[in-house]
Amino acid sequence: MSPLAIIFLIIGIPALIGLAYIFVRGSAGLRRYILTRIGLLIPMVFILASLVFFVMRVLPGDPVRSSLGPKGSAETVARMREQLGLDDPLIVQYGNFLVDIVTLDFGNSLTGGRRPIVDEMSERFPATLELVIPAAAFALAIGIIGGTLAAARRKRPLDYALRLYSVAIYSIPVFWLGLMGQLVFGVRLGWTPIAGRIDPVIGTTLERTTNILWLDAIISGNWPALWSSLSHLVLPVVTLGLILSGVFLRLTRVNVIETLQMDYIGAARARGIRERIVIGGHALKNAIIPVITLLGLQVAILLAGAVLTETVFSWPGMGQYLVQRISSRDYTAVQSVITMFAMLVALISLAVDIIYSLVDPRVRY
Amino acid sequence: MNLPLQEQETPVPQWEEELAKVGFVRRLLRARKWYGADWWFVAISSVMVLGFIVVALFPQWFAPYGPHEQVGPRFLAPGDQPDLPLLIVRADSGFTSLEDLATGPDSEVSRPPIAVVRGAPTAGSLREQAALIDDELQDADTGMRLRPNIQRFDTVEEVLQSVQDGESFAAVMSSVQFEEVADQFPDLEAPTDISGGVASAGDFTLGTNQIGQDVLSRLIWGTRIALIIGFSSSLVALFLGVPLGLVAGYAGGKVDRIMTVFMDSLYAFPGLILAIAITAVLGPSVLNVIIAIAVLYIPTYYRIVRGQTLSVKQEVYVEAARSIGAKAGTILRRYIYPNVIPSVSIIFSVNIADAIITGAGLSFLGLGLPPSTADWGIDIARGQEFIQNAWWLVTFPGLAIMLVVLAFTMLGEGLTEILNPKLRDR
Amino acid sequence: MANPDILYSIRNLTVEYQTRHGVVKGVDDVSLDIRRGEILGLVGESGSGKSTLGKAMMRLRNGSARITAGELWFDGQDLMKLSERQMRDLRGSRLGMVFQDPMTSLNPVQRIVEHLTETMLTHEPEWTEEEARERAENLVERLGIRRERVKDYPHQMSGGMRQRVMIALALALNCDLVIADEPTTSLDVIVEAKFLDLLKELRDEFNLTILLITHNIGVVAEVADRVAVMYAAKLAEIGNVNDVFEKPLHPYTEGLLKSVPNIELDSGALYKMQGSPPDLSSPPSGCRFHPRCPYMMEEVCPVYEPPFERPEGASEDCRVACWLHHPHPQKVAIGA
Repeated sequence: MSPLAIIFLIIGIPALIGLAYIFVRGSAGLRRYILTRIGLLIPMVFILASLVFFVMRVLPGDPVRSSLGPKGSAETVARMREQLGLDDPLIVQYGNFLVDIVTLDFGNSLTGGRRPIVDEMSERFPATLELVIPAAAFALAIGIIGGTLAAARRKRPLDYALRLYSVAIYSIPVFWLGLMGQLVFGVRLGWTPIAGRIDPVIGTTLERTTNILWLDAIISGNWPALWSSLSHLVLPVVTLGLILSGVFLRLTRVNVIETLQMDYIGAARARGIRERIVIGGHALKNAIIPVITLLGLQVAILLAGAVLTETVFSWPGMGQYLVQRISSRDYTAVQSVITMFAMLVALISLAVDIIYSLVDPRVRY
Repeated sequence: MNLPLQEQETPVPQWEEELAKVGFVRRLLRARKWYGADWWFVAISSVMVLGFIVVALFPQWFAPYGPHEQVGPRFLAPGDQPDLPLLIVRADSGFTSLEDLATGPDSEVSRPPIAVVRGAPTAGSLREQAALIDDELQDADTGMRLRPNIQRFDTVEEVLQSVQDGESFAAVMSSVQFEEVADQFPDLEAPTDISGGVASAGDFTLGTNQIGQDVLSRLIWGTRIALIIGFSSSLVALFLGVPLGLVAGYAGGKVDRIMTVFMDSLYAFPGLILAIAITAVLGPSVLNVIIAIAVLYIPTYYRIVRGQTLSVKQEVYVEAARSIGAKAGTILRRYIYPNVIPSVSIIFSVNIADAIITGAGLSFLGLGLPPSTADWGIDIARGQEFIQNAWWLVTFPGLAIMLVVLAFTMLGEGLTEILNPKLRDR
Repeated sequence: MANPDILYSIRNLTVEYQTRHGVVKGVDDVSLDIRRGEILGLVGESGSGKSTLGKAMMRLRNGSARITAGELWFDGQDLMKLSERQMRDLRGSRLGMVFQDPMTSLNPVQRIVEHLTETMLTHEPEWTEEEARERAENLVERLGIRRERVKDYPHQMSGGMRQRVMIALALALNCDLVIADEPTTSLDVIVEAKFLDLLKELRDEFNLTILLITHNIGVVAEVADRVAVMYAAKLAEIGNVNDVFEKPLHPYTEGLLKSVPNIELDSGALYKMQGSPPDLSSPPSGCRFHPRCPYMMEEVCPVYEPPFERPEGASEDCRVACWLHHPHPQKVAIGA
């Protein structure tokens, strides 16, 4: 079984169980909402895929020419065009493209041993997950704690400091922050490794099942590998997380401030509820709801940041794969990776919407 | 049964009513009265932005060197003086530069003896520089060659003695070494460094890069491309996004629904990845980068303008204007534009910041811009290789990006406080 | 405070707001006694400072409002001397508050029962979750809401039910004093009448004292024992409901009553008071009502502030701030 399939099982099964539970226990309205929302997934994937198709095939530019370079003879070009089905009318190409997506068969890569792209992605995808999920969690944690603190200490030094932080961090290019991290913690202090997912020597001893290395290390009880993979993980995760945290901090701050002006906050204070609970419980709980909705949109920033972070840290994930394939002009692979990203976005936004409907009792189905 | 009362417990303060009456430009100018801190925020960041624009327009006024000139030794750390090896000759020899030592076919000496200190790096520099000159000479087809016969001595004194004695035509050593003992050899002089004075003028505040370009100069020239990308792509997005938003919001119905679904998916798509795809297909050029980034930001304008248009459309006075038969164009101009402009100006400012970061990301990945461009992203990407030894190569371009982006972001922040009543402090 | 009949006593309270135009007094030197077991109606227009007064009585933060002078005595304790912590212990357990809009005063993501148990457990930490829940259900049932509904979220309930929940929150720990700030404003007339009946019942059953803040003088007539009228951050008049409604002393009170259609003081057309309430950042000199007063005396009212006193011949509980009821207004003017 490929790592990708295992990952899908690890994430997918609990998600399905959760969904089934909500379905059985939830109200009729909630059920209808979730069904509609899942129904909406199809047009969304369709539109995103069409967007990719438009960019990759309709825009001027000849993938075959650029892939073969000036040396390719007219004959090879023609053969390759035929092979890739580029001679068909656009509409037929479009149809084939959609069929490929549904069957998750992206063909073989043009370079590097012509492996099936699905196989390559199934190695890369876990690496991206390993980076992106902790980074998002880290960013959320900093953002929510910082934002709440700033709102609670509004117009005082801490608030100004945190606001400054959020603006400044937003202005830093993620790849540069990564390089600075390498420079300070890797080169100067020597605390962390500066590139890769695991020490190459230790890496050979690790038996890979999910290809999420720390998870594999735990499964196989390979403690040096666990340590090595975690120490490689720190710098990229912190880099990506810090960049994202600014946005979350701002969102949380604004929402908590708005919520703090609500009547029910005054009412809670009038009942003698402790200030810590008023802000941390009542206000935050209400303020977090819009933050969750916006989480869906931040996924775009997260994934874009992952591409750059992976490149800086030589992290063999989807983003690095994409950049590599572009420089080797492997057009099939590029198109497939971008389609994969599009589907990921659609799935995450579905998940966010469902979570939203669970968190906010007022949501109108 | 109830008293005729206003609903609000606290009446709207007078200053806010006053503010609501003035247009948005006057509001900005007068805002100092009401928003001291935020007004200064806007003022300071505007000055910064203007400064960057001037630098981008006239980089030659500020940059000591051109962006592509190789003007110094490689990897010179910030603040260090270039320690170029000096060419030392007898004052009466008539040699003034390394080139003078070149010999023609009819010369009796085919390889001029040049003395160096054993083990010092000067020999390497001498060999490199001589090879350069030799190549030039050969290209120029003069028949002249420069192939120094390097003589090695153990001490500085021995080296200089051999020049004094005429044994060697010249010596090459660092200026520090020469100055220490120069008094003992009054006959010798150091007319120039081995590069013939080209590089010695240098004062490299931020050091030099791996091919001897001045880092500061490249930073200054890089402002131009950053701002070109930022402004152009935001403008393109603005000119596409705003009208589309107006049309969708005003027309409503099916047009609106289809366009919104499309824009929403575009908005949800990771921007950089889409830009990567577009530049990969279109090929590297500044124009293509601008197009790729502009596409990403169309939905931002579209969404905000559509939303505003929808809400303005429902307001009573627009209804009234419509009922008396005002044309759509008039309604747009009179009622909708004034409401939309403040938000658009905020987005525009933030958008430029975003576009600059995205553009830098693209060029960091080696996509989009032609590799010779003086661009911060490209400089960082090229400096990454040398991060272990030359920290300044990646540090300064990154700081430059951060500073420019910060200026535009702060401008947007301040404008939000002044122009967006929702976030305004009560 | 010696008098055991008086539950809450406000002495010379001044509350100031910081605005961009300087300091505004939202409550200006107000003194008021609330007696044990009574329902005191506090009437006034919006912006007269009645809500500010209500919040100040609980020492609740309210924007930039700050108590700058005065004393607050509750059941023999000087509230101004209590720490914020001690004050917090009083809020919700002995001092309760019911807000104007029950929709926005209940946390939308918290179930009704959680509101109640949270309040109970905050003040009575030794109660168990089950006890609190049980009590909450009983309480809600007593107020006429089915037990099962406690699991609902606020948005699932009607306005009247939500307002009853607000009352339940004040009763959760048997508050002595309930400050009800415009509790019926957002309710329709029928629900309002029911709610007021309930309030009276509860007063007797739970031995409550209620300060009913409202701009609706009809509500006061229905339930209150005494009424205090506030105008421009100051008290204009106070007295027993019957006395005040029969023979209002302050011209402002008279105007208020005349402009209510169903209380027939004057058989003529509906009266409309002239002018509008003053801007508190620059209140009128002398008597604050003088620019709108039909009985204004040129030499006195615009210049001198009337004292808040019992006029001669009026009943024991009556106080009014008006030169008309002063024995020698002209003398005051000349003498000063």
